[in-house]
Amino acid sequence: MISYILKRLAWMVFVLFGVMTVVFFISRVIPADPVAAMLGGQAPPELIEQVRAKWNLDKPLYDQYLIYLWRLLQGDLGVSISTGKPVAEDLLQFFPATFELATAATILSIFFGIILGIISAVRSGRVMDHLSRLSALLGISMPVFWLGLLMLLLFYYLLGWLPGAGQLPYYMSRPPRVTGLITIDSLIAGRFDAFQSALKHLVMPAVVLSFFGIAAVSRITRSSMLDVLREEYINTARAKGLREANVVLKHALKNAMLPVSTISGITYGRLLEGSVITETIFAWPGLGRYATNAFLALDFPAVVGSTMLIALLYALTNLVVDISYAYLNPKIRYG
Amino acid sequence: MKRWVRVGLLVLFVAALLLIPGLAQVPKDVLIIGMSHEPIIDFEPARVYEFEGGFVLEQTYDQLVNFVGGKEAFERIEPGLAESWEVSADGLTWTFHLRKNAKFHSGKPVDAEAVVFSLRRSLALNQPPIWILSQFVPKPEMIQKIDDYTVTITTNQPLGEMLMAAVLGYQGITSIVDPAVVEAHATPEDPYASKWLAEHDAGSGPFILKEWVRRDRIVLEAFPDYWRGAPALKQIIIKDIPEPTAQKLALEKGDIDVAWNLLPEMIADLKGKAGIKVIETPSWYFHYAAMNLGYEPFSNVKVRQAVRWAIDYDAITEGIMAGAAVKCHTIVPVGMFAHLDLLYHQDLEKARQLMKEAGYENGFQVELLTRTDPPYPDIAAQIKEDLKKINIEVKVTAVVYAELLKSYRAQQHQMVLVRWGADYADPSAQAAPFAHCDTAGPEAKVKQLAWRNKYCPSGVTAWVEQAAGERDPRKREILYKAIQGVVLEEGPYIILHSPLIQVATREDVKGLQVPPMWYYTELFAVTK
Repeated sequence: MISYILKRLAWMVFVLFGVMTVVFFISRVIPADPVAAMLGGQAPPELIEQVRAKWNLDKPLYDQYLIYLWRLLQGDLGVSISTGKPVAEDLLQFFPATFELATAATILSIFFGIILGIISAVRSGRVMDHLSRLSALLGISMPVFWLGLLMLLLFYYLLGWLPGAGQLPYYMSRPPRVTGLITIDSLIAGRFDAFQSALKHLVMPAVVLSFFGIAAVSRITRSSMLDVLREEYINTARAKGLREANVVLKHALKNAMLPVSTISGITYGRLLEGSVITETIFAWPGLGRYATNAFLALDFPAVVGSTMLIALLYALTNLVVDISYAYLNPKIRYG
Repeated sequence: MKRWVRVGLLVLFVAALLLIPGLAQVPKDVLIIGMSHEPIIDFEPARVYEFEGGFVLEQTYDQLVNFVGGKEAFERIEPGLAESWEVSADGLTWTFHLRKNAKFHSGKPVDAEAVVFSLRRSLALNQPPIWILSQFVPKPEMIQKIDDYTVTITTNQPLGEMLMAAVLGYQGITSIVDPAVVEAHATPEDPYASKWLAEHDAGSGPFILKEWVRRDRIVLEAFPDYWRGAPALKQIIIKDIPEPTAQKLALEKGDIDVAWNLLPEMIADLKGKAGIKVIETPSWYFHYAAMNLGYEPFSNVKVRQAVRWAIDYDAITEGIMAGAAVKCHTIVPVGMFAHLDLLYHQDLEKARQLMKEAGYENGFQVELLTRTDPPYPDIAAQIKEDLKKINIEVKVTAVVYAELLKSYRAQQHQMVLVRWGADYADPSAQAAPFAHCDTAGPEAKVKQLAWRNKYCPSGVTAWVEQAAGERDPRKREILYKAIQGVVLEEGPYIILHSPLIQVATREDVKGLQVPPMWYYTELFAVTK
């Protein structure tokens, strides 16, 4: 098992290298000028030349690549053109907020997705099944933009049950930054008021983001459960006189979890890259907005840096999913 | 079964947490502003060029001279850290007498040393906005201390008083920083403490930068020893809310006091609503189209005139901009010194006649390059429709701004539709880019809009230089009006309108005035 994980981690380095190279060249063959994007339409030409030289953009492409690679090997992701800060520092600044939101949304997705999936498998073909299938369809097809604004209007503006955009009430001071995760930092600082507010602020964006995940997880759970429930050993369990709940939740569920863990991993990986729309609507200072702004500003170092981080997260979640297979199904062994 | 009980308890606990109401009552002397932080880079005064950064510096720093108020803010030069000033007979040396009661946030007095240090620091750091100062004051030795409270600044050409004030009252690069604080945070690699100043302030303004969490919040706290007196507000929280709808809901709900980035239709909806006020000021930037004289048909002045007479300005300003703009067709915007109030209107008869006289009765084809974000594609579509009526076939190409700029700067476009904003509060900030072009070749002195469009009006170029140095305001005004008249008649531009700056506030917010360059908005006198 250990050697398998090490092998996978070694492969990851190659994957990241490939991603870096591809993104590096793609982002530089775009026929637009990042310096123009940064300085705007009014900058004098001498200044543009000066800034271009500062970012090595006046050098041939392969030179730029070698410079970037050399610095990368020293652990330097470069300096962002649009924020003027080291990209690594920017990623550390903005990733925790996305991590917190993605984790909350994934927990909701898995929890409600599995429950809905089980219900519609057990009640397959009946009203509950149709209802849950309909909601899955809605969850997949509803535009996040619309859903987010609608929820804000309903639960914040009209009903007043939940707070509006942001991570904390505007007047409330933030707990000192330790992990960057605002719920955890609140607890570390012993700020119960901040913890409570942070949780409340987390609800709406997490629910919006979980819609897609719930839909995906519940569909996969349903079909996987239906397959397992037709197996012989389930008949045996029932014949032994076990209670139906026991049969479904103990005997069937674990065996049905293999594809569910795959889809959960994919969902988590997808959410970890950040969602620019949800983060914008809910004023969430996360990776999605940072990366999107970087793309729009043609901020090469930030684009390559954030793409590599996203690739790394995908590779890691996939690895965790593969490892979980061995736990879920002892027949699977990695050597 | 026990496990289910535990899970149930956990769920109940979380639910209880969510249901207990929070206790966040905002005190009367705290102002909360909702604003998109996206453009903010940092708060290094020598570097800040973006509006949002300038808006924060306006609260934390002071300059030698000041501009105060709303629409009329730039009509009058107010004393800043300098109480008074005079200019030498040759018009080249300005002497500033500093007030003696101004203090930095550190408690140290603002003296001549600090002024000389700050301006020289900006020149040394040589960041993008420095050209505003260095075009007239290129060398550090041109800034000198005379005694503890007197400074002289020598310029490389005589300047009108308004132009001097516009440059020295510009925000970042001319902000006076506390030399002691800079020295305390300087390192061998960073002798001007740029890294530290990027996230803190060393100013003497009415507010102190207390906290900055990127893309989240900026907290300013009152500076009680401010030379104009302690500000009325104790604290200002500028909260990043990028989505306009979320800003609007928060304003209506009373969670924020000011919403800065609402869309025109939201403003229209809020007007007349109980508890809400709307502030509107015509901005000093405009949407304009430009024709490249390097493209054969546009080298004929009659074609350029025909295009200007063919546009349906009402449809653009009233329709596409939904009335959230004021018409302005000359290169000096409404409300700026020497603005010439002449307007075109659609006259297809005249336009067709001009096309005929130019020998283009059957029209021609042209590519119009524009941006992809609103309202550019809509305006471009209107222009296409209008020009079709005089047989000009417009092909609209919408590209990202950075790509457009690349073609525009290389004089490779045929026609563009973009925007321009005044860099500082004087018509020279408009005349130089729009009307100064001694040659269309690479050796040109000013390679700005006139040059990009290969419009080289030799006589006008001389006027532009003359007007910048003219010290008699009356003569200056005449010169700028003449420049505007000529450019309006024969120039390559179709200037459309200046969008309104629209800010919505809660009704109890008093004393908020928004000038045409909104980042000069002062919060010093605001109360709630």
